[in-house]
Amino acid sequence: MSHDVVVVGAGLAGLVAGIRLAQAGRDVAVFATGYGGLPLAPGVVDVLGYVEGPVTAPARELPGFLAAHPDHPLARIDSGALAAACRWFLGLVAPLGYQGTMERNLFLPTAVGALRPTALVPETMAAGDLTQGGSVLIVGIQGCRDFYPQLLAANLAAAPSPSGSRIEARAVQVALPGNVGSLRPQLLARRLEQPQVRAELAGLIRSELAHEERVGVPPVLGLENAREVWRDLQAAVGRPLFEIPTIPPSVPGIRLQALLTRSLRRVGGRLVTGASVVGGDGIGGRLASVRVASAAREVEVRADHFVLATGGVATGGIVVERGGGAREVVLGLPTTAVDLQPDPLSEYFSPRAGDRLGLAVDRLLRPVDRQGQPVYANLHAAGAIVGGAVPWREKSGNGISLATGYAAATAILGELN
Amino acid sequence: MNQLETDVLVIGGGSTGAGVAWDSALRGLHVTLVDRGDLATGTTGRFHGLLHSGGRYVVKDPASARECAAENQHLRRVAADCIEDTGGMFVTTPLDDPGYADQFLAGCAMAGVLCEEVTVAAARRREPRLNPRISRAFLVADASIDAWKAIWACVRGAAARGATVLPYHAVVALEVEAAAVVGATLRDTRTGEERRVHARCTINAAGAWSGQVARLARCHVGVVPGKGVMIAMNHRLVNTVVNRCNLPGDGDILVPIRTVSVIGTTDVPAADPDDIDPTAAEIAAMMAAGEVLVPGFSQGRALRVWAGARPLFPKSAASAAGEVSDTRDVTRSHSVLDHAELDGVGNFLTITGGKFTTFRLMAKDAVDLATDKLGMSGAAIACRTDSELLPGSESGRFYWIGARQEEMEAQGPDDPLLCECELVSTQDVRAAVSRRPHCQLDDLRRSLRVGMGPCQGGFCAFRVAAMLHQDGHYEREAANESLRSFIEERWKGTRLLSWGDQLRQTRLDEWIFQGVLDLEHLPE
Repeated sequence: MSHDVVVVGAGLAGLVAGIRLAQAGRDVAVFATGYGGLPLAPGVVDVLGYVEGPVTAPARELPGFLAAHPDHPLARIDSGALAAACRWFLGLVAPLGYQGTMERNLFLPTAVGALRPTALVPETMAAGDLTQGGSVLIVGIQGCRDFYPQLLAANLAAAPSPSGSRIEARAVQVALPGNVGSLRPQLLARRLEQPQVRAELAGLIRSELAHEERVGVPPVLGLENAREVWRDLQAAVGRPLFEIPTIPPSVPGIRLQALLTRSLRRVGGRLVTGASVVGGDGIGGRLASVRVASAAREVEVRADHFVLATGGVATGGIVVERGGGAREVVLGLPTTAVDLQPDPLSEYFSPRAGDRLGLAVDRLLRPVDRQGQPVYANLHAAGAIVGGAVPWREKSGNGISLATGYAAATAILGELN
Repeated sequence: MNQLETDVLVIGGGSTGAGVAWDSALRGLHVTLVDRGDLATGTTGRFHGLLHSGGRYVVKDPASARECAAENQHLRRVAADCIEDTGGMFVTTPLDDPGYADQFLAGCAMAGVLCEEVTVAAARRREPRLNPRISRAFLVADASIDAWKAIWACVRGAAARGATVLPYHAVVALEVEAAAVVGATLRDTRTGEERRVHARCTINAAGAWSGQVARLARCHVGVVPGKGVMIAMNHRLVNTVVNRCNLPGDGDILVPIRTVSVIGTTDVPAADPDDIDPTAAEIAAMMAAGEVLVPGFSQGRALRVWAGARPLFPKSAASAAGEVSDTRDVTRSHSVLDHAELDGVGNFLTITGGKFTTFRLMAKDAVDLATDKLGMSGAAIACRTDSELLPGSESGRFYWIGARQEEMEAQGPDDPLLCECELVSTQDVRAAVSRRPHCQLDDLRRSLRVGMGPCQGGFCAFRVAAMLHQDGHYEREAANESLRSFIEERWKGTRLLSWGDQLRQTRLDEWIFQGVLDLEHLPE
């Protein structure tokens, strides 16, 4: 088997690289052990949310931040790549109505009622931006898992917005007829795809609504046709309405994943899941092939270029060994050197030594050895496997995956052309 | 300051104190049980969960072995719901003295510890992960016991008979009048409020802390805290308690309990029972020791590490003078000290030494002496804990690994699970909170095991905190604080295990708590 490009990993970084390369006419195959990490997170694209305090304008903050963190993945790539990637992404995911810019973060409520900065969001969440304050009704649906409107509203109302203006929030819980027991978000999302269920929910919300100018709901506004579900419900309620993301699994994340995998196939890329890449063989400074373990056997897959997007520690791209060593699992690439000995006194919310663990890469995102030389001239890394960031704390996760996935494709296309 | 009147004041809410409370209440005494923290947060909440058959001590400490064997039988009868009848096995590994096995067999016979030798093949059929190079194997009546369940059963039983139970109440002073302890001043560690309790008799059941408590009445108890490190592995690597057939040593016991298996333990003297954090070297030693029992052990996922402080009470004069060099040589038997005789302070007893398996007997001995001192005698005041079944154990049915699944299926789909790892439902949490209106997430963890499974609270901590806020149990600030402190508390047990799949889980939890929920930026 042979392809122009083999991508390892089907999270945001892998899919972005794969789609972009396939759009450019390359023969692309994406191999993944599972389904990728997208369903684990709400599908918003963070670029930079916190430095010392909350970041209101990532585009303004980034140059200084990256100068202070020269090993950050976003510091490794071309300075225009992030903005180009965001523009490209907004076009790609237009069916989900993503909006936002790098000029200004949106401050969306989380499921506990913190205000979380992020850059690009689906249209179903955009009305949740409380940068300028406002008054919101938080509506819980009885039986809907992992959504607790009271604590959410209480925390929201307890602090001013980033602009200093007031946030008013009130919680109600409505009982949708026919809801029995505990409902997983995907199930509720499916139910709301039925027009009469939406109409019932809209009626219940209207009857609770007072002077609130906006309405926040659980992230369950349809799996397949979110746009229709959201527009319908919003029109029937008569106020701007938005989803508030919660813990995994995330329906908005699943929507983004579905759209991206469809996009990949539409432009001719192949996605093979249940296919773990377990090793590779190099010749003369280039990676010639990888070994893919699927159901019954290992297959050698050759390609001109490779993108490694298996993720960081959270998704198993990198494993930390007892005793402190770290291992890149597919090709045994060297990781950034940090002291990984556990700290007996560390506190949970404080920075730790291994936070930035990942691969060191050059300007073309190629993993490099200790001397700074690319391990393989045709192997590029993208996403959370690239070291140097603490995305869960910085709120930079999907922004890094998007930008590095895009930039890895750019590097490959540059060489191919 | 309000004042309580009680017959027996029990200081220390571990297994001994809870046992004393249950025993006293059954004899018709009014008892007040206090602890500076939640119940079972000292040594009792920090052991591996082994209900000894006695086999561990038959050679080195036969008196203790005999007590364990008898108490094992008693507890199986009265506390069935707290016990999983895993059975136990002693195996001779290639690292063990092959001559010990015969001493062990003879010791079991002498001490009345039931023991049956089986072929190595039979042992490995029963526990396929066992080291294939074992040379002998013996079955014994070890079991695993849920310390929290047992303590709370004792305490509920006592409370139903009028006992006053005061967790989070520290004894700040013991009142001594006319050379006798007449009561104590307590401080509620959550509110700072103080109250006095007047007691006819005070029993110091503070275990490894009993020296500190005794000093409040200018009495001396030469207890030596013996630090023991344990690691919970994410799976039941064995379903039978497995012991190395040798003199007691480090990491020679593997106990399957609930959803995990626990390897333990070490034994080194500690200066302060509150300062016993495990070290990286101890963790490495435990992982290596696990490998001897179950090859591949150290490749498994270590879920949580902690240490407990045994209350070791050296009975010989030399060791009582503080010259304990090897705490393994200190007997595991217990002692009841009458401070009237030892220090000239009346109405004040200390029960110390001993071990979880013998807590019922320890309580009996302490309360026997207390009733003696109170001048009570006769059949009406006799100990009944060997026949009275603990609340929850009335059916006589042992706990089994599928018990919660069975309950959950009976409850039906209307009762959403909050903790998938340990199968804790919304109803379970509501019931626990109604029993303990002031409880925190970490208290719920001890009574329900919420947050104790593989995700260590990654999913359930948010759910429970938010649900309890919704129910009005928490104010907003308290919900946030409870959530954050629960996460910090869980982190203490995993931070030294930051490798492999456990680190991967930690990272996923970080993505949830910080990446998705942005917990670190909640308003004050």
